[in-house]
Amino acid sequence: MIKYSALILGLLLTLLSCKEEPTGPLKVLGNTKMVDGKEVQHTVGIVNHYSTDSTLITNKELEKYIYVADFFFTSCPSICPKVTKEMMKIYGAVIDDPMVRMVSFTIDPKRDTPAKMKLYAENLGVDTKKWLFLNGDMDATHELANTYFVPAMVDKNAPGGFDHSGKIILVDKEGRVRSFSEGTDPATTPQLIKDIEKLKEEYKK
Amino acid sequence: MTIASIIGVLTLCTSCNETPYMQGMRLYEAKCANCHMSDGSGLSKLIPSLAQSKLTQQPELATCLIINGIQDTIRSGDTYLVKEMPGFKRLSATELTNILNFMNHKWNPTFKEVQIIEIEKIITSCSKSND
Repeated sequence: MIKYSALILGLLLTLLSCKEEPTGPLKVLGNTKMVDGKEVQHTVGIVNHYSTDSTLITNKELEKYIYVADFFFTSCPSICPKVTKEMMKIYGAVIDDPMVRMVSFTIDPKRDTPAKMKLYAENLGVDTKKWLFLNGDMDATHELANTYFVPAMVDKNAPGGFDHSGKIILVDKEGRVRSFSEGTDPATTPQLIKDIEKLKEEYKK
Repeated sequence: MTIASIIGVLTLCTSCNETPYMQGMRLYEAKCANCHMSDGSGLSKLIPSLAQSKLTQQPELATCLIINGIQDTIRSGDTYLVKEMPGFKRLSATELTNILNFMNHKWNPTFKEVQIIEIEKIITSCSKSND
């Protein structure tokens, strides 16, 4: 009898420890604001950046796709390579998916010229049509980062001269932030990949 | 029963310390893993993999490289590769020895331990060649 109760207790514990997948659509992250008496959801700021082949990329272009974004700089000696490694995993998961793009904004546009980022992408071995590396005004990019919930700023004491977080952000076709993972924590990447699949469902209806 | 539990505890303890180079491991995590990754895999062509790297098996090259870093542009045909690595001038001979031994013990199948005295000599030679 004691044996059986132990077994049942064990089973119960295992069942309880399994986390249930949250059901329903992904939440829209960020606070809503009132514009002309209407409630408006949070969207990302103004994108007015140049790609590695010096094409101007705006919000209109990005909104053709679901995209996964991060903020980095090529000479970053701290967290960036780890975040890029996770971006590579996500890139591998969406490589054949025409609905999804990857976007990396440099927070150090002076040093990270489009030519330098082109070389960076080549060395990374990725297609810059699928994974955009964007260069724009520095202050505007740091402000833009905040609208993706990524703090980014000049900090002489930080390694490489910039302080920023390694969040990887999932944005929908309306420019709304729908999910994120921590680029410095590989354990959070699989959930983001699942969330991309979930977000895609919204556009199949 | 008591002996069994003692053996159990002992096994647990040894399995935690899988490397005999604990300081090397901690320093690797703090100074190297951000770029070369915890598993030494690096990042494509941008950051070289250290797992079974020929370079880490040559103490002279590896020591001077860790101390001085690299600021270099390497050309290969029409393309050029920018290779940058910060230098770590503040590491002591003991710390450098432990980092090298940690990396080679973990990733190099023909591991041979380097000694502090060996690394001390190398350090003086790489600062000389730098003058």
